Amino acid sequence: DSHIQYERVGADVTMKCGSMDWDAAVTWTANGTDIDESHLNGSYLILKNVNLTQSGQYSCYEGSSWHLKYQTYLRVGTPPKEPLLMCRSNNYPKGFYCSWHLPTPTSIPNSFNISVIHGTKEMVCEKDVFLKNRCHIRYIQLFSTVKYKVTLTVTNALGKNSTSLTFDEFTIVKPDPPESVVAKPVPNNPRRLEVSWQNPSSWPDPESFPLKFFLRYRPLILDQWQHVELSDGTSHTITDAYAGKEYIIQVAAKDNDIGTWSDWSVAVHATPWTEEPKHLTTEAQITETTSASTSSFMPPPTTKICDKGAVVGSGAVAARWTAGLVLAAYGVLFI
Amino acid sequence: GDSWGIFAFLCAALCNLPALPALNCTEEPGAGRCIQQTYDLTRYLEHQLRTLAGTYLNYLGPPFNEPDFNPPRLARAERVPSATVDLDLWRGLTDNARLAANYRAYSRLLCYLRALDGTAGTAELRHRLGHFCSSLQGLVLSIAGVMSSLGYPLPAGPPVPPGTSVASNDFLKKMDDFWLLKELQTWLWRSAKDFNRLKKKVPPAVVTLRLEARGF
Repeated sequence: DSHIQYERVGADVTMKCGSMDWDAAVTWTANGTDIDESHLNGSYLILKNVNLTQSGQYSCYEGSSWHLKYQTYLRVGTPPKEPLLMCRSNNYPKGFYCSWHLPTPTSIPNSFNISVIHGTKEMVCEKDVFLKNRCHIRYIQLFSTVKYKVTLTVTNALGKNSTSLTFDEFTIVKPDPPESVVAKPVPNNPRRLEVSWQNPSSWPDPESFPLKFFLRYRPLILDQWQHVELSDGTSHTITDAYAGKEYIIQVAAKDNDIGTWSDWSVAVHATPWTEEPKHLTTEAQITETTSASTSSFMPPPTTKICDKGAVVGSGAVAARWTAGLVLAAYGVLFI
Repeated sequence: GDSWGIFAFLCAALCNLPALPALNCTEEPGAGRCIQQTYDLTRYLEHQLRTLAGTYLNYLGPPFNEPDFNPPRLARAERVPSATVDLDLWRGLTDNARLAANYRAYSRLLCYLRALDGTAGTAELRHRLGHFCSSLQGLVLSIAGVMSSLGYPLPAGPPVPPGTSVASNDFLKKMDDFWLLKELQTWLWRSAKDFNRLKKKVPPAVVTLRLEARGF
């Protein structure tokens, strides 16, 4: 016959060996390991100033027969501290959700009870399917003047604690960040970046409850952000990007009129369009070398730059040498 | 971000203040522009009300100026028109019904606010209330302008005069004041949404606010 025993950290615990007399000869084990007699007072087990590591299964056996006389599971923990509660409407005007957690773990099981009161009415907060510390409220009325009061109580075997939030419908509106943010360079425009995004999918009715957006961008090499606020549309062209520099871009959303800004979206990176370096074959064609036309450039052997001893003789040779010099210079640049 | 738009409108409003009561939407380039202006006006008023309500509630004193103050709604307070509405009902309102609800609400709220005027504390507070009432009157006229430009008749009958039921004691009178300001605030939030919907329905002169600020 085993049961569970909850004790506070730092408490002194006395375990009796079931119905055995105080002066009976017994052996105690903790998780199967014998406990030294120094911890015993007769047949009682004394644990002073317990800590978390002492949680476990404690068993008491009769001295000679080694019969199991008593077994208990000791769980050392703490009563709950005041929980942290937050409520938010990311799907206005459908409703809102409340989410909570404990600031420090208690090490023992806790149960949560949440109540939502609107004026005189108690509303049902439906548990989230996936997250156990979250529940959802559906609005019945819109544009309410009466505040909502949400009270969360957390209870465990060692105590209880609670916290409350009181708020107006409008103050807790905070959309999720915009989704699918994409930034692309604009061909033939070295200072432009085209950014587009979508309304967060959790926002149910952008037609009647339009969102406005805040875009921030900076080149990776600088710390200072630039900002643009947009009250319309889900795209924007940055026109003052530094040429050739990689940018980091983020977008946030807010209901046009009420509530607060969302968190920043996932950051995207983009570099504005830069001009492609010109191909060498075109240069070769313009200066009319006699070399065979292949896709890779080969300087004519008579025009090596390092050939300082080359004699500048006739004009034709000189002309070819100058042309070759120009071509060799290009060759050096692009190899 | 919002403050830029408010500031821009403020300038326009201040410059046009004498002309505001004479806003005639039938002459303006279409109902769309009128709706936008009415929308801007609700935002301006909501912004103004925040400071005004704070000052007035401080004048009323505790518990009215406490942020957590959440009293139950007494039956007598129902005479102030409520913005609260069932979600599907609100969605299904026709343009006419939507505008009419706004018009009726602000006409009555204006009356009640004017009644506050004479009794409020300091001269400063009375002056601010007076200014707010003028702006609120502008809103009522603006809504009327939108309705007439769309061919809708204005809701019939004068608003119910206040002061017919005098609060039996000082505390209840203050409660009435508290609820009046609360309803006014909620109506301004609602109107922003109402006019957003109307903007989409009526062919607009859409005003896109684009603000650039470097090095925030």
